[in-house]
Amino acid sequence: MKNLKYLILLLVLPIMGCSDLEEEPISLLSPNGFFQSVEDVQTVINGSYGNMAEEAFWGRKFSLPLLLRSDMAVIGDQGTAGRRKDHDTFSVTDDNGMITAFWPRAYQVIAGANEAIAGGNGLGLEPETINPTVAQAHFVRAYMYFHLVRLFGDIPYLDKPVDVISEANQILKTSEADVYANIIADLEFAKQWLPDTQPSSGLPSKATAAGYLSLVYLTLNEFQNAYDESQFVIKDEAKFGLGLAADFQDLFNASAQASLNEIMFSIDYNGFRSGNFGQDYMPALTGIRANEAGDIGGGWSVAVPSIEVYNRWDGRDYRKAVSLDTTAIFGGVQDGFMNFPTYDARNISSPYIAKYTRFIGQTANGNGRGSELNYAQMRYAEVLLIAAEALNEITPGTTEADGYVNRVRARARNGSNFPADVSGLSQTDFRTMILEERRWELAFEFKRWYDIKRRQLGNTAFAPGGFEDRPNFSATRDYLYPLPNDELARNPNLEPQNPNY
Amino acid sequence: MRKMKQLKGTLFLLLSFFFVLNVGAQEKKITGMVTSKADGTTLPGVNVIIKQSNSGTSTDFDGNYSLTVPGNTSVLIFSYVGYATLEIPVGSAKQLNVQLEEDLGALDEVVVVGYGSRKKSDLTGSVSSVKSDELTAFPVLDAQQALQGRAAGVAVQSNNGGEPGTPINVTIRGNASITGSSSALVVVDGFVGASYPQPGDIESVEVLKDASATAIYGSRGANGVILIITKKGKSGKMSVELNTNYAVQTTANRLDLLDATQFAAYNRAITPSYVQGSENINWQDLIYTTGNTANHQLSFSGGSENIKFYASGNYFKQEGVVINSGFERFSFLSNIDAQVNDKLKLGANIFTSRSIKDGVSTQADSGGRGSGDVISIAYRFAPDLGLLDANGNNTFNSVGDDIDNPFAVATERQDVTNEDVYRANFYGEYNIIENLTFKSTFGFSSRNQNRGQFSPSTLITTAAAQGGIGVIQNLTSSTVLSENYLTYSKEIGKGNLTALVGASYQKDKTFTSATGAEGFVTNTTGYFNLGSASVPLIPQSNLTEREIQSVYGRLNYDFSDKYLITLTGRRDGASNFATNNKYAFFPSGAFGWKISNEEFLKENATISNLKLRLSYGASGNPSIASFNSLSTLNPIYTAVGDQTVNAVTPGRPANPNLKWETSFQTNVGLDLALFKNRITFGFDYYNIDTKDLIIQNSSTAEYTGFANPFFLDNLGEINNKGFEISLSTKNIRTDNFSWNTDFNWSTNKNEVIKLAEEGEDIFLPSAAPGHFLQDETHILRVGEALGQFFGYEYRGVFQGGALPEGTATFSGAEAGDELFTDIDGSGEINSSDRKIIGDPNQEWTFGFNNTFKYKDFDLGIFFQGAVGGDIYSLTLSELASGGSNATTEALNSWTPTNTNTNVPAAAAREKRINSRFVYDGSYVRLKNIALGYNLPQNITEKLGMDRVRFSLSAQNLLTITDYPGTDPEVSYRAQGNQNGNVNQGFDYGNYPNIESITLSANLKF
Repeated sequence: MKNLKYLILLLVLPIMGCSDLEEEPISLLSPNGFFQSVEDVQTVINGSYGNMAEEAFWGRKFSLPLLLRSDMAVIGDQGTAGRRKDHDTFSVTDDNGMITAFWPRAYQVIAGANEAIAGGNGLGLEPETINPTVAQAHFVRAYMYFHLVRLFGDIPYLDKPVDVISEANQILKTSEADVYANIIADLEFAKQWLPDTQPSSGLPSKATAAGYLSLVYLTLNEFQNAYDESQFVIKDEAKFGLGLAADFQDLFNASAQASLNEIMFSIDYNGFRSGNFGQDYMPALTGIRANEAGDIGGGWSVAVPSIEVYNRWDGRDYRKAVSLDTTAIFGGVQDGFMNFPTYDARNISSPYIAKYTRFIGQTANGNGRGSELNYAQMRYAEVLLIAAEALNEITPGTTEADGYVNRVRARARNGSNFPADVSGLSQTDFRTMILEERRWELAFEFKRWYDIKRRQLGNTAFAPGGFEDRPNFSATRDYLYPLPNDELARNPNLEPQNPNY
Repeated sequence: MRKMKQLKGTLFLLLSFFFVLNVGAQEKKITGMVTSKADGTTLPGVNVIIKQSNSGTSTDFDGNYSLTVPGNTSVLIFSYVGYATLEIPVGSAKQLNVQLEEDLGALDEVVVVGYGSRKKSDLTGSVSSVKSDELTAFPVLDAQQALQGRAAGVAVQSNNGGEPGTPINVTIRGNASITGSSSALVVVDGFVGASYPQPGDIESVEVLKDASATAIYGSRGANGVILIITKKGKSGKMSVELNTNYAVQTTANRLDLLDATQFAAYNRAITPSYVQGSENINWQDLIYTTGNTANHQLSFSGGSENIKFYASGNYFKQEGVVINSGFERFSFLSNIDAQVNDKLKLGANIFTSRSIKDGVSTQADSGGRGSGDVISIAYRFAPDLGLLDANGNNTFNSVGDDIDNPFAVATERQDVTNEDVYRANFYGEYNIIENLTFKSTFGFSSRNQNRGQFSPSTLITTAAAQGGIGVIQNLTSSTVLSENYLTYSKEIGKGNLTALVGASYQKDKTFTSATGAEGFVTNTTGYFNLGSASVPLIPQSNLTEREIQSVYGRLNYDFSDKYLITLTGRRDGASNFATNNKYAFFPSGAFGWKISNEEFLKENATISNLKLRLSYGASGNPSIASFNSLSTLNPIYTAVGDQTVNAVTPGRPANPNLKWETSFQTNVGLDLALFKNRITFGFDYYNIDTKDLIIQNSSTAEYTGFANPFFLDNLGEINNKGFEISLSTKNIRTDNFSWNTDFNWSTNKNEVIKLAEEGEDIFLPSAAPGHFLQDETHILRVGEALGQFFGYEYRGVFQGGALPEGTATFSGAEAGDELFTDIDGSGEINSSDRKIIGDPNQEWTFGFNNTFKYKDFDLGIFFQGAVGGDIYSLTLSELASGGSNATTEALNSWTPTNTNTNVPAAAAREKRINSRFVYDGSYVRLKNIALGYNLPQNITEKLGMDRVRFSLSAQNLLTITDYPGTDPEVSYRAQGNQNGNVNQGFDYGNYPNIESITLSANLKF
């Protein structure tokens, strides 16, 4: 009998170690069954906002090329990476490291939106309950495709979560026109369902959707539609809680931004980060090397306004003082920009961008990295300028159009008498004036390149006599970026590459 | 008997891992004496083992032994180092006195193989043995370090030069994985995946190399297996042994850098306005010091006929050659074996250790502002700056990225890792019926590690803005292992059959967590009071689990002591394998032919042994981290409206077909011994095809929007083939003088056979430090070995004017800039002008050991080296890029008046990957030279001791190499990195290698 007991033990032993070997990954978040409530939809949309703020998008990989490609900023430190310099000099190739970095990040933002839309619609809730949240995802998707279509033209367009990778790997490009149609449809949905106001500018409101619609139409030269959408915002500016900030400087002051009525949508940073999430680099990229002002260890002198920006900007314009730093502190002593290279050979003799270095709040990292700045993607001032520009194209010479510009100029005067009000300009002069007004009002706010493209200004902007002489600029090539070559290799159906790359 | 029953009962209750069947047998007791045939002296410590069991004893001080055998058919095996092993059937005898014949080469040692042991002469697989005296020839941090150069085909690589407590990587027969590990599996006393014991506690190390030997470890065998047996007690006189040694250590080499005046001149060529600082400091002198190592080990062992024990305690303390770096370890090992009755044997191995590593930052991932490691910033830092600035703050660099001064970083930054390791393994062995034994083991191991790091706010660029940064990381991992196997052996006709069948279950669990804070009230609390800080960092935690369940078997058949056949197989199921591929089978077969036992050679006076070995089989590399085949959502940090909010993003698509990597290995081996084993020679040829290599499937378009679209997939194929030669000779052997030589040599050729896309290179994630801003450093290319350096081919200095044929510069270059080969002929250098510029894989490696003995003195001289294997010096690249101090090479920079030079003009340059910084890493090293003295026997006897030995040795005294960096044994980003395996030959911020002088004493009584 005793032996029997041992025999049973012998049989029990191997069973003790028997398992179905299925993994129970309790430490992982699984996409299966994730969507249970409206909050879960918001969490996925927040992921899209987080991806926008990441290093490979607004942190620097996307924002920096947009800045350098315009005629407002050049490379300061020539020792910086070639992948950056190529944007300034129009030498971008199809393996440019900035493009191959922000391309996937942009599509991660879109994938989050697609997941949120599919997940939200799958909850089976009343439209009134779910749509105001899902509408954010529609807005996010439109926002991102709007960037991509302007930069690349025809692009792969996905509006559903990817289930079968082999199928997604073979899709064709969607034409620019169809992408715009989808953007407009998404923005219309967003305009219909988003609330009139949001608790912060980090979330889009009904007015944000309409404001973006007006910009999309302006880009398409559909001026009536652009005007109509701008009117949708302007007519009800009180209801939407919109207005211009009294002090232009406050728009770039991390501690003042939240209280302003002007910022309609922003990519937010709060001085914390996790790795490259939540970390902006603009204070470092635009800062002056060895500058002791602000006590952040100076900047990296990567993107610096060309001296022409300083020379051609009227010195009486308060916005110039807000936008540019002409002095810095070295060894406890203030010195002017002509001497900047003396203190560090990587500086250049030019004023530096001040919008992202002066009032940046707490920082998570040195050189101003990981600041508390919020980056306005659209300000109410821009809606006013869109209205003016569109109206001038429909009906030139209206006092209404002058009025929109003058509202922006009145704030810019900041108590002085410059810039003066406009009136009585011809259609052509008004058109020129409004583009210059956008240049100064929205200086270094990542808008200028799109204006150059929209109005096909490259051949003058980058010619001798322009702000930047760029002999390499080619109008038949450079209005579009090349699609990343590795993506073309993965999906040859994306061929042909954009012209002349 | 009552007591015995109680013991049994308690064991079952406590362990429930073992069963006992009481089957009667005609056991009996045998006694006897073992003497030497040559001179008749008694031999103490001779191993006496009952054949086909693991039980046995050893002779006492007077050569006597006594043990109980199962019956008259039992065979006793007598083995003793330096003597021929003897097998004697017990028969009806009660006393067996045995004379052992001296053997010049101990071919018939019993060696341990997976789940059993074999006579060395009966092996069919490729197995290298490393003796315990080789492991303790000079003091080492870990046993794996002592393996370097000792066995053909075994590569030992420190992950960080001579850093105290650095991990050591052991690779067998080349690199057979890309994303997986290439480290050999370690089995200690049957515990799979154990950590190495202390060298002094090791009885034997067997390195299993071919599939015949490793397939029994199935999905974990592909990288080879290192089997370690720790010392066991022997019955007879109790023995107490004290080993102690003390070493003094210095840096083996330093870089020649510019002094303050030279630096200022160099820097003025870059920044004309540069004003020379007032100091002249060689920062290397400040951070390097004389280090020392103390190692003490006390062991005692012994036993009665039924109970044997071995216990040892070890204390190791090293103060590194970089100030404020050190390592301290206490460890304890205990082995108990109890012969409960003639059928049942029980035993336990227990190992514990605590180590404390005081780290300095080395091998930094990035050296941008506020980062960088002590070593590389000591090279970079301006020599004309002092320790403190005018305000009494720590200085930071006056050129290039803002980095704190290396002395401040070394002394003020804290980085302490505590690690506790526990391992206990119980076994029971039961002789069910004659020839059939059941063995069961149940073991548990755990590793608890915590690491605290603190950068005080006095480190200006590192932590001043944050007000100090403190981080604490914890890791807890545990393994439970149960092995159960039956061994049956029987003589069948003219042959011997041994069969093994078993099952095992293993579960591993790892839990990690991390927390941190910034903005400390005071720097004095370090990371011990995170709550006092104002800004919490985002905490992290993670849990991974893995289960493996297996069945395995082996069949050995020896026919007529001439023909040997081994068949093995293992079927592994593992939870980390994907849903559709949970189980894997790994078979192998081998054939051995003892040619010297054939009639035509049997009486040959010259050839004492000649054996041919052939094997083929499969073994695996699990390579898949837990949960890696599943799809995920990734949580990401997001702020909306300045508030941090919950956010997730699509992470990774699932791959339900992901499976292990499999190596198919052919081995042809030849063992030859001449002149009564005075010369032994071993030769092995192997060919390993590794298939289903896991690499990221980069064919997924990134517009699919996954954070990690390149899911893991079984796409690659690699081949490793090579030769291994080992040669041992007893050159001179007289009464007073002997000279022995051991030589091993191996060559391995590694080739990528297949990658995901036909004809497409795979760029490995950059191995350059982050602040280099270089995305691409090395590649995988079909037809080439793993990890080829990829970049521009440097062609000297551009002299201005017309470009030399076939060369070009980057746009905007001036005279004095770098000239490169213009591969695409575009007239300007761009990214398509890159090519393979170096191969980090070594062509061959060798170890060469000479031992001389004269009376009571002995002298060992051990050389070790490698030929081929390029090094990419990221360090020298950085020091040539402006923005830092430079090596004295900069004195020969191009200037309009110094044009005949290969060094470009001083300038701030991009740190482009180019052939200028590729160097031949070949070296020959005098690894150890040791002079020992044994107190003569008559004196030790008077002292009442068995042995008294002193030795004086030196390590790394001499290195012959052309490599201009500090040391040719380099490593960077090799550990804790997904592609660490293929990051070979990069040199950046390595802890320097060390030169030691060691005094050792060994007392045994």
